[in-house]
Amino acid sequence: MNHVHCPMQTSEEAAAILLDYADRRLDAATAAQLDRHVAQCDDCRRMVASQRAVAEALDEWRPADIAADFDARLAQRIAAEQNARPWWKSLNPFAPSAAWWKPAMPLAAACMLLVAIGLWKTGPSAQEFEKKAAVYLNQDPQQLEDTLSDLEMLRQLGVAEEGASASSRQAL
Amino acid sequence: MGASIALQPVSSPYTAPAAQSDRDAGLMLRVRSGDSAAFTLLVDRHRNPVVHFLYRMVQNQAVAEELAQEVFLRVYRSRETYEPTAKFTTWLFRIATHLALNWIRDNRKERRQESLDMEVIEGAERQVADRAPNVEQSMVRQSRLGEVRRAIGMLPEKQRAAVLMHKYQELEYAQIAAVLECSESALKSLLFRAYETLRARLAHLDEGR
Repeated sequence: MNHVHCPMQTSEEAAAILLDYADRRLDAATAAQLDRHVAQCDDCRRMVASQRAVAEALDEWRPADIAADFDARLAQRIAAEQNARPWWKSLNPFAPSAAWWKPAMPLAAACMLLVAIGLWKTGPSAQEFEKKAAVYLNQDPQQLEDTLSDLEMLRQLGVAEEGASASSRQAL
Repeated sequence: MGASIALQPVSSPYTAPAAQSDRDAGLMLRVRSGDSAAFTLLVDRHRNPVVHFLYRMVQNQAVAEELAQEVFLRVYRSRETYEPTAKFTTWLFRIATHLALNWIRDNRKERRQESLDMEVIEGAERQVADRAPNVEQSMVRQSRLGEVRRAIGMLPEKQRAAVLMHKYQELEYAQIAAVLECSESALKSLLFRAYETLRARLAHLDEGR
């Protein structure tokens, strides 16, 4: 003959309450109501006793200590990600500020671009170009170098466009 | 270059869920604004619960710490788009559960025996450090511990995650359901079945005492 469980154990809501009762998580008033039921219901009394034994066994499973350098390793990983971040990702003017210097980055980049355009017009050499750009902005050296490399590439394209413009003027 | 994250130990208890959740969301919003000290606080508050949850999920301390690092990394990466649409701990444990389930799936065959073997060794080391008065008690305790770990390890992954969050993290039913992306009713059913299985598998432990 199949064992028929108490309705407290067949309804999801009631079963959850019974679990909470077994774990002693219920408020006093609700617990008192369950006290009366459990006292009269063999099925629930066995379930509660068994559940409490399981809880006690689970309590014995204590985790190991966390490595002392956990936070330091996490900080290193975060710093490594930040350092590896491409410079152009800092140029997004819509990115919310995450550090005091970030709001200045798009503006700095825009200024660099204006400087570059101005310098292209006067046609400086590569070294002169770097000197003049560095004078205008106080940049992180590595970032400045990266920025200038990309602008140099654009400048070369600009030289090609200037050559084409010169040819067009001669034709007129 | 880049914000410097100096993680200094800060004593911050894992307090009552409602108050803690509001505070956590507030801290995360400060992280969004660039406050690295707020991130330090969040890590300090949640490091232990996350690592311990992952440890019990994957049953390997080194893997658990590695996965926990990934959890906090993902939290940090998401800082600029963070919106407090759910409780912070719900979001945190959803990331942790997702990573744990992926790792379990990817390492199912290779890691099962290796993890249990490692835990036997680690368990023995912990027991030696415990103040058990004699070897026999220590061995009995270790045996019970092994039974508990195996019983938990044999649960289907979602049931395992539900039990661990319910038992050890004391998350609310609604929170656990949100983490596992199921209805609260489905979660309660899942949890009840999981505990029913555990009661059946661990019943002999109580009989032997």
